[in-house]
Amino acid sequence: MLILYLVQMKRWLEMIDKNSFDRVLKKVEKPARYIGMEKNSIKKDLQKADIKFAFGFPDVYEVGMSHLGLHILYNLLNKEDYIACERVFAPWADMEKEMRKEGIPLFTLESREPVKSFDFVGFTLQYEMSYTNIINMLDLGDIPIYSKDRKDNDPLVIAGGPCAYNPEPIADFIDFFVIGEAEEILLDIMAIYKKFKSNRYKKIEFLKEVSKLEGVYVPQFYDIFYKEDNTIDRMEPIVEGAPKVVRKRIIKELDKSYYPEKIIVPFIETVHDRIPLEIFRGCTRGCRFCQAGMIYRPVREKTVDTLTELAERLVNSTGYGDISLTSLSSCDYSQIKLLVSELIDNYKEKQIGVSLPSLRLDSFSLEILKEIEKIRKTGLTFAPEAGSQRMRDVINKGVTEEDLETAVTYAFEEGWSTIKLYFMIGLPTETKADILGIKDLGYKVKNIFFSLPKEKRKGNLKITLSVSCFVPKPFTPFQWIGQNSIDEFYEKIKLLKKEIRDNKVTFNYHDPKISYLEAVLARGDRRLSKALFKAWELGCKFDGWSDFFDYNKWMEAFKASGIDPDFYALRKRNIDELLPWDFIDIGVDKEYLISEYEKAKDGTLTRDCRLGCNNCGINRSFLGGVC
Amino acid sequence: MLMTLRVKFTKEGYLKYISHLDMMRLFDRAFRRGNIPIRYSQGFNPQPKLSIANPLALGIESQEEFMDIELSERIPETDFIDIMNKELPEGIRIIDVKYVDDKRIVSSIVGWSYYEIKVKVNNMEDLDSLQYSIDRWLRNTEILLERTRYKKGKEIKDIKNIRPLIGNVTIDRNDENLKKDNGYVLRLYCLLKSNDSGNLKPTDFLKAFKEYTGFDMDIEMADIKRLNMYTDVDGSIQSPM
Repeated sequence: MLILYLVQMKRWLEMIDKNSFDRVLKKVEKPARYIGMEKNSIKKDLQKADIKFAFGFPDVYEVGMSHLGLHILYNLLNKEDYIACERVFAPWADMEKEMRKEGIPLFTLESREPVKSFDFVGFTLQYEMSYTNIINMLDLGDIPIYSKDRKDNDPLVIAGGPCAYNPEPIADFIDFFVIGEAEEILLDIMAIYKKFKSNRYKKIEFLKEVSKLEGVYVPQFYDIFYKEDNTIDRMEPIVEGAPKVVRKRIIKELDKSYYPEKIIVPFIETVHDRIPLEIFRGCTRGCRFCQAGMIYRPVREKTVDTLTELAERLVNSTGYGDISLTSLSSCDYSQIKLLVSELIDNYKEKQIGVSLPSLRLDSFSLEILKEIEKIRKTGLTFAPEAGSQRMRDVINKGVTEEDLETAVTYAFEEGWSTIKLYFMIGLPTETKADILGIKDLGYKVKNIFFSLPKEKRKGNLKITLSVSCFVPKPFTPFQWIGQNSIDEFYEKIKLLKKEIRDNKVTFNYHDPKISYLEAVLARGDRRLSKALFKAWELGCKFDGWSDFFDYNKWMEAFKASGIDPDFYALRKRNIDELLPWDFIDIGVDKEYLISEYEKAKDGTLTRDCRLGCNNCGINRSFLGGVC
Repeated sequence: MLMTLRVKFTKEGYLKYISHLDMMRLFDRAFRRGNIPIRYSQGFNPQPKLSIANPLALGIESQEEFMDIELSERIPETDFIDIMNKELPEGIRIIDVKYVDDKRIVSSIVGWSYYEIKVKVNNMEDLDSLQYSIDRWLRNTEILLERTRYKKGKEIKDIKNIRPLIGNVTIDRNDENLKKDNGYVLRLYCLLKSNDSGNLKPTDFLKAFKEYTGFDMDIEMADIKRLNMYTDVDGSIQSPM
């Protein structure tokens, strides 16, 4: 009797209080963010699971649910009988306030169980500006924020995703990182944990064991020594067996790798409300500003057969009306025309559309687009990235003025009239002429429209020139350069604002202050952890949302923690400086990045890898990568 | 040949937090998963031909909702119910369907909704006199309510006579458990107009009720459930089914 009572008591303690939950739902915006219960969500009996894994996305539900990695790993983990994986997102500010008032700890959507009772809380790091949300989520979850403060009975807090390629700024909070693609290694880690858990589990012993796996980085096993000028002198493993170099993980045979056949269908509208069909990983274009283009190498495609079969299963299990062919540059897929026409044929009758999220500025892309868009002429979005040819050559964008003219002419002739062009300012070697090139390009597009005979013009021309501030990222040929200062960015924006005066051409820009902070966090080292903590204490969260971002609080946090943010954002590094992320091996040689950096300076182009190997090193690093 | 299926369904539990637009999407996907031969609108952005009568506001449950859907081929009623209930979440159940040849869609013929409202009142003395007091209130030919609406971010206030929108109001007097931590959980039943020509939201009704009674109650925290929907046929109410 007593035992039964205790068991029930324990159960009761684990669930969050239903009455409090019901009360807060009545008070918050979009309560469906917090109820779970969606089609294809998986709710297991947590009492029976050997391992409870909380998959944390440090942003609001609608953003997190649009992230493909979540769907892959959620289903991959739940495929195992002994693992129960549940989701947790950052509650929106109104929900957080009510939760704190009612004393509701952060909970997972499926079982509404506090994340504190889970074995793992795993965060995916999609953008640096979500770091304070991680701290806030741990705090809301009643989990000690610093790794060193977490005991054997606390959850292990782990992280992965693109930002984990420079894990150092959040090294103090995370027990271990998984570098690279996690599909295989995550199950290995779970198997090891299961063994440890059944036999007097000690956190430290478990960490030592997993640190031996390729792709695992345990920050507490390393000491960093700094020089007098504040740059890094050396990084030393302090635990036997911790590797000096952590090598990223990749899935060698993507075509045969795990992909979910069912994905959760949210009740509420999310950012990407459709079937994500991942057609390949990696990118051969080699744009020099692009981190994804370097870290996701080599290119690995899935076959058309695999993809059509997956599409069929996903259509049947979700009922979605749209299939999105996702990748870094979808028109580069070698069988794109075949794939698109097969999908369209298969699903025309069911009213299921196909969409391409990333379009290149060439007529080939537009031809495909024409096929899939049927008659609907929604807006077109292109990213020339820079206004002048010289600048585009510096960044190796490989798009010529001619490509652009042909593509835009074609688009207008086909009936499009709303065009959005994305650019960056603050790229290396940029001059006033390059900046004005943005305006010139916008005006040129306008002239193309009006030079068409009147009867060929359709709709009302609307050109949007959208400018963001360049943020140099680790593992790119631009990882050494200093970012423009906030003032410089504002000067450049002012110039464009002054010059772009046309009712057909709209100019908008990103907040340079957010980009500055992004640059600090992207290339930061371990010492930033304390500034992040301080910023969170001052109330920073949802920093990627302009209505939340508070620059002054951040500056206060840096000051209080004795950190000079300019050191990270604005400083030009020497080639021989030891960078905080240098201990990670992405398979692309540092020498290659250096040579690309050198080539950028005089605008020398590097060809697309599909046209011939450029010898970046990825082929030597990972056998089976076909470039 | 046009085939219209009238569908009676529920929306209960946490599914009350799904908006009308979310419901439209949810049905669209369930139709597709279940291979229901639903018809789509023509044009650039084809939408399934479905029409839900008097959509519920977020946070209100219902044990009786109606929608009309157009099918391109006839399927047996029971098949439709079985297939859809497999595809729909627990809180949404199809409870009845019927092919109709009525030219008017269900959303145009529904006139009244019958609600159950549970709300905590902190300063209520006793229940006995309340029904009498409500009856007296409803004898007024005019009950004025100030409503705030938002149009293009602007606040628009208007005062409206809602008396014609109220059918009847009763209270549940047989509940011994009403008394709860120095207050009452009041259980109200009310028939309110709900169509294009006149619509009274239960929360607006509560607001007027609160003003009249002077009750200390948190309208935001009320539990509201739609029990039935009716069409108005020559002054008498009937089920649209």
